[in-house]
Amino acid sequence: MLRARWETLLVGPFLISAGLLFGSQFIFLRQSLHRDLRFGQQDPAWSIANFVQILSDPYYLHALWLTTYISLSVALICVVVGFPIAKVLARQRSRWTSFLLSTIVLTSFITTVIQIFGLIIIFRADGPVNELLRAAGITRQPLEVIGTPLGVVLGLVYASFGFAVMLMYGVVLTIPRSLDEAAAVHGASRARVLLRVVLPLCAPGLIVAFLTIFNSCMGSFTSAALLGGGRVLTLPVLIQRTMLLDVKYGVAGALAGLLLLFVVLLNVASVIVLRRFRATRGVAL
Amino acid sequence: MSAAVAPTIDVVQARREARAAWRARIPVGRLLTIAYFVAVFTILLAPLVVVIGGSFSAPPNDTVVMSYVQFPPKRLTLQWYERIPATELRALGVSFALALAVATAAAVLGVPAAFGLVRGRFPGKAAVGILMRAPLQVPHVVTGMAFLQLYYAAGDLWGGYLQGTPAGLFLAHLFMATPFVVGSVGAVLYGFNPRLEEAACILGASRWRTFWRVTLPVIMPGVFTGLLYAFIVSFVDVPVAIFLASPQAMTFPVELFHAMEQDFTPSSLASASLAAAFAIMLVYAAQRFLGLDALLRSRTK
Repeated sequence: MLRARWETLLVGPFLISAGLLFGSQFIFLRQSLHRDLRFGQQDPAWSIANFVQILSDPYYLHALWLTTYISLSVALICVVVGFPIAKVLARQRSRWTSFLLSTIVLTSFITTVIQIFGLIIIFRADGPVNELLRAAGITRQPLEVIGTPLGVVLGLVYASFGFAVMLMYGVVLTIPRSLDEAAAVHGASRARVLLRVVLPLCAPGLIVAFLTIFNSCMGSFTSAALLGGGRVLTLPVLIQRTMLLDVKYGVAGALAGLLLLFVVLLNVASVIVLRRFRATRGVAL
Repeated sequence: MSAAVAPTIDVVQARREARAAWRARIPVGRLLTIAYFVAVFTILLAPLVVVIGGSFSAPPNDTVVMSYVQFPPKRLTLQWYERIPATELRALGVSFALALAVATAAAVLGVPAAFGLVRGRFPGKAAVGILMRAPLQVPHVVTGMAFLQLYYAAGDLWGGYLQGTPAGLFLAHLFMATPFVVGSVGAVLYGFNPRLEEAACILGASRWRTFWRVTLPVIMPGVFTGLLYAFIVSFVDVPVAIFLASPQAMTFPVELFHAMEQDFTPSSLASASLAAAFAIMLVYAAQRFLGLDALLRSRTK
């Protein structure tokens, strides 16, 4: 390695990053400790009234639960549906590989608002899906997706799927192919290679992908705002409304603080579990 | 072995071979894989196809101004493209310029930071690493609201308000994007073989020359991966920009978001299709000049 004082390179980026991090997080957390008066004014006295109000209100607790539930579903769907795609793309090279990869990357280049346009046209009462279901005689009433949590989950899956596959593709590439071949030479069937070699080695990376998608869903509100039809109130939607429509900085700050705390705690907990998992399995990564 | 000597063995053998040949001719696993890919990619691309198709679809009759989209289109028209509001086109330009600036600045911050984090030796390195990655944990909507409140507070102090300006959007997006560059460059640096640099030094290259001609080319895929992620983060962001954008500094996703909430017309589909075409060109260029498989190989942590 080149001998140099590499740590000096860190000073500038560190100061800027730390400034942005502490500046942004400090201000809203401080605001959350003041009660809201009217018109965006705040009571100068310190108080934890905002937190008490949120934590004692089933409305907000339900929103937190709904957000968590939706995000977990989306992360699970993305990892389960996306892993076979990532695995095949990473392991079986064909002339289609780069085309399919580009398509995956393309979907993450396209803002979720555009995908939601399409989803609304597809799933509205007289859209292609309902026409098909009716023609096939499966349903008489149109299937309602828009304005339900299912619709929100669908929108978020479209928003996250490409990114999930990109992450997992990188994970599969880190597993040496020679390990598969070694198992196959010793007589393992293809299913057995997948279950006993590839999946266990990928597991930590898949958990990271799961968490990444979960985190981004906990903070995204496009899908809930546009596909929820005002009926699926997740925490991000409430934060945006409280901040921009009700102009209550204190309550919005407290909601955001709780969301932040919740997500960080979940992540720390999963990192601890992951460490233990790696230690017991002896998986080198 | 001839058939006359051991006919039974030969029959068994032939049957086994026939079965194997049959299995080889109809590769069930491969067909299942192909079916799975076709199903997933069809579902994945369906909304995009519908949007692009819908943008060419003429309303059922001319007397009614329908903000109603027919898919599949019965009659084709370009009228929605002619009616794309100028604000949407401008927003697309703003988004592109912003994403480009954010990706560049994230690389300027993130590449040296990754070198410092991987190669530097100093107390508290783990804590600094956690801090540099912290923005990944902050939910986007919290980032948006936090920066809005930061700009309010800073404006009250110094009199210069950043909300609703391109600079305000830029800082918030930079905050989100930098960890991606740190992560992807860091991942490549961890796997870097120091012997390459030693060899260059032994052969008489100066330190700068070694850095420029050996180190940098090796980590370049990591840098491009980071740039790609940073660009995407900024280019598709709604939850942050919804707080920070204004008519003076409007990004494309937020402009579409408002169009969808307020007055939806098929011309929004037309501008969405333009954006999609633009994205296709970008991805094609990335694939052509950089190679996406190489880009995704170095993963962010």
